[in-house]
Amino acid sequence: MPITQTPEVAWRAIAPALALAGGGVIALLVIAARPKIHRAALAALSLAAIGAASWSTFDLCALRYRVVMQGSVAVDGVSLFANLILLVTAAMTVLLSYHYLERRRIHRAEYYPLLLFATCGMVLLAAANDLILVFLAIEVLSLALYVLAGMARRDAGSQEAALKYLLLGAFSTAIFLYGIALSFGATGTTNLGRTAVKVASGGVDARLTSAAMALLAIGFGFKVSVVPFHMWTPDVYQGAPTSVTGFMAAGTKAAGFAALLRVFLVSFGALQWSWRPVLWGLAAATMVVGSILAIAQSDVKRMLAYSSIAHAGFVLVGVVAGGREGLSASLFYLLAYAVMVLGAFGAVIVSAPDGRERLSFGEWAGLGQRHPVFAGAMTLFLLSLAGIPPTAGFMGKFFVFSAAVQAGETPLVVVGVLASVVAAFFYLRLIVLMWLTEPAGEAQELGASPAPALALALAAAATLAFGVYPQAIMDLARAASVFTG
Amino acid sequence: MTGQEMAFLALGAIAAAGGVAVVTARNVVHGALFLVAVLAAIGALFLLLGAEFVGWVQILIYVGAIVVLLLFGLMLTKAPLGRGALDNQQRGIAAIVATGTFAMLTWLVWHAFGDERITFVRAVRTADIGNALFTSYVLPFEAVSVLLLAALVGAILLAKKD
Amino acid sequence: MSLAWVLTLGALLFSLGIYGVLARRNAVLVLMGIELMLNAVNVNLIAFDAWIRQGNATGQIFALFIITVAAAEVGVGLAIVLLVFRRRETINVDEVNLLKW
Repeated sequence: MPITQTPEVAWRAIAPALALAGGGVIALLVIAARPKIHRAALAALSLAAIGAASWSTFDLCALRYRVVMQGSVAVDGVSLFANLILLVTAAMTVLLSYHYLERRRIHRAEYYPLLLFATCGMVLLAAANDLILVFLAIEVLSLALYVLAGMARRDAGSQEAALKYLLLGAFSTAIFLYGIALSFGATGTTNLGRTAVKVASGGVDARLTSAAMALLAIGFGFKVSVVPFHMWTPDVYQGAPTSVTGFMAAGTKAAGFAALLRVFLVSFGALQWSWRPVLWGLAAATMVVGSILAIAQSDVKRMLAYSSIAHAGFVLVGVVAGGREGLSASLFYLLAYAVMVLGAFGAVIVSAPDGRERLSFGEWAGLGQRHPVFAGAMTLFLLSLAGIPPTAGFMGKFFVFSAAVQAGETPLVVVGVLASVVAAFFYLRLIVLMWLTEPAGEAQELGASPAPALALALAAAATLAFGVYPQAIMDLARAASVFTG
Repeated sequence: MTGQEMAFLALGAIAAAGGVAVVTARNVVHGALFLVAVLAAIGALFLLLGAEFVGWVQILIYVGAIVVLLLFGLMLTKAPLGRGALDNQQRGIAAIVATGTFAMLTWLVWHAFGDERITFVRAVRTADIGNALFTSYVLPFEAVSVLLLAALVGAILLAKKD
Repeated sequence: MSLAWVLTLGALLFSLGIYGVLARRNAVLVLMGIELMLNAVNVNLIAFDAWIRQGNATGQIFALFIITVAAAEVGVGLAIVLLVFRRRETINVDEVNLLKW
């Protein structure tokens, strides 16, 4: 009987994930000990955990990039930058959640620990350097999100969103796992770095790796809602509580893309010739279909869901462009997208009192006259989503498109620009409705409380700042576009 | 043909036939029982392939826990009987997709591994699994604990009545 | 024993699972289809593991994780199914369509 060794644990490297999981556990213990605790205290506790995770992420930036935890976790620019996006997303979500949940009478204290667990899964996913951990991290975040989507238990839409998300999510995970199994069979390892070595050495069956990559792409495609694996997105985004929708849109996309980039660029980087055309097609289809279907929507959340599909396509353009330029452009885009989509969903949350939201387009008519500041913020987010200067969304599109042009992918850029023009139409429709139509019916108050207002203000400031002074963030993204594997 | 191969053929036949029965059964409870047959056959196959611990876990967790949960689900939701009630209109498309997938994957594995043989299989001891879990895979193991906690809390939260 | 035969069994179970997911309308039966797919993955992993026979039994450990996650997924899945059933008296995925499928 061998003496069992103790594992080597790189505490500092996994501290962000530990802080989030630990915060979740503490929150659960607090709920168990004091069931009547004020839920605002739990929101504050969540913010503290997110703060601790941010601090330990910052602490990690000083370290040399390396792979730790027996090769399963990568501490590198991409994972650190993804942490930045994810923690900002989580913090904004907590700020937006509390009043929203109270007003909608979703009195569930467990919302906060689940949110922390989901964030923990996302942080792990962005850093996972082993397909086993990629799978488990996806499951941690997905299981928590299935529950969060169904959190408004009395609301039929929320229940259906949870059911649909669970069934399609589990289906896509099974497909993803088959891809991992084939990759394991072809290379004999699940570690991304060792897979890369094996693939580059050429002793691997090309058909097998192609099939594995295709199945992995389907799995990732579901998670980040790429056409044709987007069917669940509109329903789930519409049905889930709006605070959860914003979190899903910004967080899942950032973590999913970080993992997709890592798997395809690190593990299968030597096979770029085989997967790049496929991602090219997916990017084009996603931008076009997302933008066109959004036009037909009359529900704001559903419209934003289709817009989030289209945005996944724009990020993919950066992935297709490849190289350091493409990678940094994708990272910038993910951050910009997170800020503006959280702002847009946050505006929906704040748009009406009593937990009712202005969901149909008609209810936004004339808001510009009655609540100019609020309408101005929403206009800013919509302009940014449409990609009109001087906003974060414009700079994001500018960076991914110029990276793609440099990489010789001009036709894809043409498709992207055309899709953006189509997309601009439905964002502008809402803007015109807010500013150029007379308000109908009685004056409606907003549901603004200090915390959500703060979140909206921060999102608006960031949207504008990234658009006017993109250089600082872009330099950061460029410095961060390094994998270690 | 060796004894191992014959055992595999028998178990494979049970799993395949059971699998067909699971997805075509007109009675949901029968479907669940066929699933037990599939899962048990796969568990036995794992033992045959030298994966002792996984084989027993398969039988304990899958047959013992998951199928029982599924049966609870079927009973609590008063699942109806009959094909019309259980299948949707896309049966044809589903059959085409499934057949296509099967053809593709089979072609693929025969192409890649047609000549490969699993020779003498040395059983992996449970102690080895434990050692590997707590050294090479300690972080995934911890991730699973977070996952189970989230699932536990989430399931109670959603299912309990107000 | 031929590796390809074991993998063929895996492919068959996976395809049957896909058929189950696509053709069934009862949510619990859809979950059963997903379980078949996950088992197919495990069959592949264990077969590859036995074939590669490297030191740390990666395939077996991965299979253990998948079994655990499958149990958690079914637990949450049934909670959601019960939630939907209590309100709508049906768990047919094509009838549950306030939102379009």
